[in-house]
Amino acid sequence: MKENSVDSIHSVSNMTNFLASSVHDMKNSVSMLIGGLEKALASNEVTQLSTHAELMQMNHEAKRINNNLIQLLTLYKLGQKIYPFDPQSICLDDFLRVMVAQYRELLKFRAITLEVRVNPELYWYFDEDLISGVIGNALNNAMRYTRDCIYIIAEEDEGKLVLRIEDNGHGFSSQILQECDDCARGVDFQGGSTGLGFYFSAMVARMHHNQGCLGELKLENGGSLSGACFVLCLP
Amino acid sequence: MAVHSAALVLCYAFRNEWSFIEIMNTSEFNALTADMDFTDTTALIIDDYQEMRSIFRDILRSCGADVKKISMAASGSEAISLIKKTQFDIVLCDLDLGSGKNGQQVLEEAKHLSLVGSSCLWIMISAEKSPEAVTGAAEYQPDAYLLKPVTEMNLRLRLAKIWGKKKAFAEIHQAMKQLDYSKAMSLCDQRLTSDKANAADLLRTKCDLLLITGEYDRAKNVLEKILAERDLPWAKAALAKILLKKNDFEAAKTLLEETTETNPAFLEAHDLLAQTLQAMGNFEEANNVLERAVKLSPNSVLRQKNLGAVAMKIGKLENAERAFRKSVSLGEDSVLKTADAYFGLAKACSASKKPDEAIRVLGQLNKSFATDEMRLKVLAVEGMIYHQSDNAEKTKQIATEIIQLIDQDAIHPDSDGSLEIARLLMVTDDKDKAIKLLQREIKNNPENAALLQDVAEIFDQASIGEEGGSSGKCVLLGLTDKDIIGFMQRHNFEFKELDISETIGHFVQSFYLVVGTFQRPG
Repeated sequence: MKENSVDSIHSVSNMTNFLASSVHDMKNSVSMLIGGLEKALASNEVTQLSTHAELMQMNHEAKRINNNLIQLLTLYKLGQKIYPFDPQSICLDDFLRVMVAQYRELLKFRAITLEVRVNPELYWYFDEDLISGVIGNALNNAMRYTRDCIYIIAEEDEGKLVLRIEDNGHGFSSQILQECDDCARGVDFQGGSTGLGFYFSAMVARMHHNQGCLGELKLENGGSLSGACFVLCLP
Repeated sequence: MAVHSAALVLCYAFRNEWSFIEIMNTSEFNALTADMDFTDTTALIIDDYQEMRSIFRDILRSCGADVKKISMAASGSEAISLIKKTQFDIVLCDLDLGSGKNGQQVLEEAKHLSLVGSSCLWIMISAEKSPEAVTGAAEYQPDAYLLKPVTEMNLRLRLAKIWGKKKAFAEIHQAMKQLDYSKAMSLCDQRLTSDKANAADLLRTKCDLLLITGEYDRAKNVLEKILAERDLPWAKAALAKILLKKNDFEAAKTLLEETTETNPAFLEAHDLLAQTLQAMGNFEEANNVLERAVKLSPNSVLRQKNLGAVAMKIGKLENAERAFRKSVSLGEDSVLKTADAYFGLAKACSASKKPDEAIRVLGQLNKSFATDEMRLKVLAVEGMIYHQSDNAEKTKQIATEIIQLIDQDAIHPDSDGSLEIARLLMVTDDKDKAIKLLQREIKNNPENAALLQDVAEIFDQASIGEEGGSSGKCVLLGLTDKDIIGFMQRHNFEFKELDISETIGHFVQSFYLVVGTFQRPG
């Protein structure tokens, strides 16, 4: 009995290591996949291809896989207490430009207007890689549910950075809003929501701290586009 | 689905009004990076995957680089030989290069051998965020870390930013190179009034400058002002360094413990904390701190070596051996390889009754670090290994050889070498010669407290001076009461109502413990 339990501990820790190292390996493959697709999509002839729409979608999905893998790997490292958390002073304008640039072609393709409202003089301390994962989650979500318009708003409010991603879709269901308040998003296999993105984002928000204040994540309905609002506050 | 070409809109806030800029293509990015002309740029791509190399080459080409000026390397050693031949403007280097040197080691070697100057833009690329990206020491840091997948936009913007930073710091670094720190400082102050993009780095550089010039009180003021606004681990570490300079170990320890707790990834704080604990004689805790740090970042030659040394001090031979072994193997491909790791490994092997392996390790040392001083030190350590494996004959033979060399005045061991020789001569009943060596070392390095600690340890192991107590040891070392008091006064310590002979005793046994019994003035 005792030996069995030791065995199972061994296999669990092996399994976690396998998962982590395979995720790392998969990330390399996905990077190459994205590199190849970006190159193909950058050529002029590609828009004439009958498979252009499929290529765009493939590129988007590959990026989503990459984001998910990063998030899994990050959560694993956070659990092991080995994630190299590194807040730096970041120019929000530059940061959001790079963020948005990744989605430009897809937004154009889906006829979605994206507005970024940011003061070019706004700088804030945060872990760029983690927050770009969080904003990526929010943008993916907004692109899926919006009618045709998304706002990204970054501003300082009472000593905190507030990042809002708003859309003009139907907004979050009351169930999701309730679960968000309870901090208890579960896995919903049928609805295609694993809860990973939300769990990751909430975790990242809480990792950011300054002078005793913690970051937080809020989901709301309303905002300037009367749709869903994803709100990230960082101290 | 109908395909529209919708406008992507970016809006900017000026004061309280929103102004709208409409963009349809990448022109805004080109504007951002307009002063970057790639046509004459020489670039090096280092990646072990052929596919990745061609992806990076395509990205550089679409930035406007001339393909003929792009070189590619599949391994670290190939990269080094290319860097030796060409002055590259841009280096894109994968951190993980499979077997052989990794990206960090390539960078270290290139910088160490001055193969890349300050004008070279070095970008380290990795699949996941590396712990080395979060570190204090800038000496062997690349200009940026980028995560895969790298896109053209991403790379362009990053290069433009680094370019701007290099420009902002060019004059400051120039002044620092010429050791004109006051000029560097005033340049920092000047820039700080207008340059928001580089404000964080400018402030940090200013604090570094104040530490270099020894203006601790001014540095402390600046740091406290920074920390009142934001908890920045580097600022806390800098504050701790000032406390260490002032021998306030207790306060440094508290601050560093707090920093490592809230920012576990900031490795410099772990290293400083371990150093502080060692100075306080708390090797057990120092060992724990370094254990945690190597878990976060296992690939540092120096940190593994330090871990080996403290593990050895507290008798954790297996751990010491493991850490030294790791340091030695990491050092294989690194210019930062250190002889200390080999010595540590040899001693750890010897202490765990593996003399043959210990001798083998020493053999590697003679090959890698071929100087006379090194050979002598190796010889002394070898003698001790024979002593520990009860081979009295060999031990004596080596001791005799060394004594002959000393008597002929044919050798001049360095400080470490002298300590090793003294250790050996203590066990071969050549105590007078050992003490003479140690006396000379202390006379030449009167301010070196760590040396005194080592000497005290050697005395204790050889049971020397026990009859006369600790002050007896002082006499043996040729130290007078006057020497000790002078030392204390130079280091700003006031005497309390303490018996002077007692003071001297403590002083030699463990300098730092004595420090704790004095009050600093003011």
